[in-house]
Amino acid sequence: MDEQDAKILNRLQRGLPLSATPYGDVAAELGMTGEELIRRVRRMKEEGVIRRIGAVFNPAALGYVSTLVAARVPPEGVEAFVAVVNAYPGVTHNYGRRGAYNVWFTLTCKGEDELARTIDEIRAATGVKDLISLRSREVYKIDARFEV
Amino acid sequence: MLTEEEKGVIRALQGDVPLVEGPFREIGLRLGMAQERVMTVIAGLIERGVIRRVGAVVRHGRVGYGTNAMVLWAVPPERCRAVGERLAAFSAVSHCYLREPYLEGRYNIYTMIHHRGTEEDCAALIDEMAKEVGIEDRLVLYSEREYKKTSMEYL
Repeated sequence: MDEQDAKILNRLQRGLPLSATPYGDVAAELGMTGEELIRRVRRMKEEGVIRRIGAVFNPAALGYVSTLVAARVPPEGVEAFVAVVNAYPGVTHNYGRRGAYNVWFTLTCKGEDELARTIDEIRAATGVKDLISLRSREVYKIDARFEV
Repeated sequence: MLTEEEKGVIRALQGDVPLVEGPFREIGLRLGMAQERVMTVIAGLIERGVIRRVGAVVRHGRVGYGTNAMVLWAVPPERCRAVGERLAAFSAVSHCYLREPYLEGRYNIYTMIHHRGTEEDCAALIDEMAKEVGIEDRLVLYSEREYKKTSMEYL
């Protein structure tokens, strides 16, 4: 990754212009051709630096509900637990963390019923009883952009 | 409520915007919409807060943010908003929420921190945050393993 790549990443995280030629417009701003920008973006996607170029949604505005679940899983059971949890498409983030609660995942569902049912299913399927659903009540910041 | 047009555009944008000279034209061709209409619908969804942004989603671990911590703070209920807003102002904080129920009866404010330095550097920043808001009681949970990280498909 060089300086040009960094400029592209910073610019494209701010947002794609809504125009007939958004990549060309960004390229012109950064002093390169549209072809070069597209070539670099394609490479960074292949390398896994860019996960995707697309929309980031507000789940609540689409009628979805989401939560953060903290789970206390015995170390020898983590692999099996993660396999069950990750199979749900509504689980988008799942991390192992150091602490009494050692597995933390986010769950997004179509409504309260589905959310409650999913958590019950996970409890039943894994035998992990200590699962806490931590619902967000206030949002002070959401900004998953990373200055490069 | 979403119109059929909006649903089509959302489906197109929850995946990848095509990497071609005219991506909105291409999305329009797929959906049977003029590109101007595609852009108008996107602008409307942004305006209404359905879409937060259209742009690059970056893997932070791949661009130098190697240390990631979730920090839970035990904040007296009447101070949550003020403390939450001050913690949110730190540039290393990507997400800041008040969550319920309070974990262990007292941890309520959650901050996600992404740091370019070592765990020691990150710990120093967390100390600074604690001093800034005057809250000592906190749980620092470093990420050890990423088991899953994807984007939701809504429609």
